Amino acid sequence: MNPPPERLRRLPPRGATPVDRQSRIHGVCLTPVSSCAMRGAFVLRKFFLRSLLILAAVAAYATGSGQVQAAEFSGRLRLDAIDVSAADKGPLAQANAKVPGLVAPPADSSTLQAELRGSAGPVNAVVTLRQQYVDGQGSDSKGTVNELYASGTLTGAWQYTLGRRIVSWDVGEAFRPNDVVQQEPRRLLVPVLPTGRLVAMAEYFGANDAWSMVLVNADKERSKRGAEEPAVALRYYLRDGALDWHGIARYGARTHGSLGGALAWVATDSLELHASVRYQTAADTLAFNLAGPSPLAQANPWQPGSVRHVAQGLIGGTWTTASRFSLLAEAWWDGAALSDSQWDAWNARNRQLGAISNPQIPVSALAGNLAWQATAFNAGLNLRRLNLFSRASWKLGEWEPAVDLLYTPEDAGRVLTASLAWQGDSLRIDGGIRINGGPHDALLAQVPTRRSVFVYGTWTF
Amino acid sequence: MKASNVQLMRPANLRGWLAAAALALAGSSGFAMDVPTLLKAADSYRMASQNMRVETQVATLNTDGSVDKERSYTVFAQTNHQSLVMMQSAAEKGQKVLMLGDDFWLLMPGSQRPLRITPMQKLLGDASTADIASLSWADDYTGKVVGEEACGEPARDCIHLSLQANRSAVTYQRIELWLSKARREPVVADLYVQSDKLAKKARFVLDAKNPNAVAAMVLQDQLTNHRETQVRYLNRKEHTVPETWLNPMFLVRNPSLQ
Repeated sequence: MNPPPERLRRLPPRGATPVDRQSRIHGVCLTPVSSCAMRGAFVLRKFFLRSLLILAAVAAYATGSGQVQAAEFSGRLRLDAIDVSAADKGPLAQANAKVPGLVAPPADSSTLQAELRGSAGPVNAVVTLRQQYVDGQGSDSKGTVNELYASGTLTGAWQYTLGRRIVSWDVGEAFRPNDVVQQEPRRLLVPVLPTGRLVAMAEYFGANDAWSMVLVNADKERSKRGAEEPAVALRYYLRDGALDWHGIARYGARTHGSLGGALAWVATDSLELHASVRYQTAADTLAFNLAGPSPLAQANPWQPGSVRHVAQGLIGGTWTTASRFSLLAEAWWDGAALSDSQWDAWNARNRQLGAISNPQIPVSALAGNLAWQATAFNAGLNLRRLNLFSRASWKLGEWEPAVDLLYTPEDAGRVLTASLAWQGDSLRIDGGIRINGGPHDALLAQVPTRRSVFVYGTWTF
Repeated sequence: MKASNVQLMRPANLRGWLAAAALALAGSSGFAMDVPTLLKAADSYRMASQNMRVETQVATLNTDGSVDKERSYTVFAQTNHQSLVMMQSAAEKGQKVLMLGDDFWLLMPGSQRPLRITPMQKLLGDASTADIASLSWADDYTGKVVGEEACGEPARDCIHLSLQANRSAVTYQRIELWLSKARREPVVADLYVQSDKLAKKARFVLDAKNPNAVAAMVLQDQLTNHRETQVRYLNRKEHTVPETWLNPMFLVRNPSLQ
């Protein structure tokens, strides 16, 4: 009955939930807290020393860039700090209540990141250097080539792109069902530039229309899931006065065909409306599979699965006034998310596991099973199928206060974010708070992070 | 040049006298010249050709007159109300605003997709994109001559025009414009948004070396912070851009447009 510890480590691999992923709280440390809590002052010192090295490299780069002819360089440097509080509800909280330290709670973090952009002739590149310190987990350095591609004219109005590139499609803000190439996460707490996909792309540009044909992830195996699946995609864009039309088709090696469409319409001087729809023959998800009569699993019962005949759609709009007040509202349906009945069963299983008090069953087995339940948070881009999102912001000179709310009507879950931004000449400072909550059974109340306080400064050069 | 001017002023030159008299008559009576002609004359001080590339610098001043921030833009102003504004300052590098008639897109360097924006969103900022990209009135406004008034500093004889936009997407729906009576150059203007609120007051500074060109437009915000913004035209060149540059999907490719 005891789940082997090494299997427990296969739990939410990075970031326990989409919400947490989007918050850049890179999840639950799956080793006991006692072994994660370490290295204190030494790690901090190392972190700042490395940060200084990055700063020096960036300064040298910025100074030297002016001497390069026929090339363009720019970049930005960002330092952020995020303070998080763990939720006291949900399967991870339950697991930790049974076996304290079984799963490390979301941790505070600080990140220094340099984003360097350059282009010379047909070659474009974006590189990110990152130094992150996570409380209790230590320090980590990472360099990422976000983009490295060649692009130019094939012939006449035809253009090519070859290499790693971010290709973002669709018109929504909080959810983009037709973002079929990059599939970048939305609503990040701190903006992070995604890593582009390997693409071979041909595009045609007319006066009012454009065709894009993309072969993506050709280097990946056919069995890859989600955004890493090899696929071909086609987009047609048409400008029709105040309307932008987008038609999108994709064929994935495993998930096969999907069709989508989107529009953006400037309805009045102050109102923009947009909408997206997509139909997929199949989409990746996670499926619960528990063999046998026992309520306890020997291995994580949440395994990769597939859902067929998936519909997704979004409708939204932005209203802006002359006094620089802006209101965004969006509603969307994501048929690829787990269904109400699946979540009901999930909640019931959590309650069932929490209520077992059989001395024959080791408490670590119960805790492990509860922790595995958190895997379901990674089933899709959205936790619930129906979502409502609204954001209000007001630009007052250099200051911009904003508040946004994500609400899931099916269980009254909510994510509330309040922020304040200050924009100087080259420096921008953002700070705010994000709170996940809702009734006891609401999914957003059960994700590992209850509250995140963030501040980050961005210097552009 | 001087010689020919002198020649024109000789009393013996009958044609010269007639031209001068006609100009004086037109100026004093009433503006025998119609509004479109007056606007075209005023436009020529900022946009000498139909297709231009204009290097523009925008400085926002604090209340004590010190510079708060400075931004540089490259503006491709083309026929048929088509403009492409490229942000050049470090803080905004890579951002572009495309304006095709009444349709506007914002392109951010990180987002890789054009964002459709409303005319109201275009207005945001101390000097809105429209202030930078819109260099002519003749195509977008109709109106009437209100009368002859003193305007500017130092005060001079001016023609007061009251203009109404003939397109809803134009940022300023009403403009009260004062042109100098002598040379028709723009002197001052009051800029009103859709709600008929006075948004900005503008004054125009002629180039000291080239009196046929406006060197700067100074905007005084009237809606929010009452701060002053100076829009300086550093360099103007005739320049026609390829058709693809005016396709928002092409601009996503981050092409070199220099």
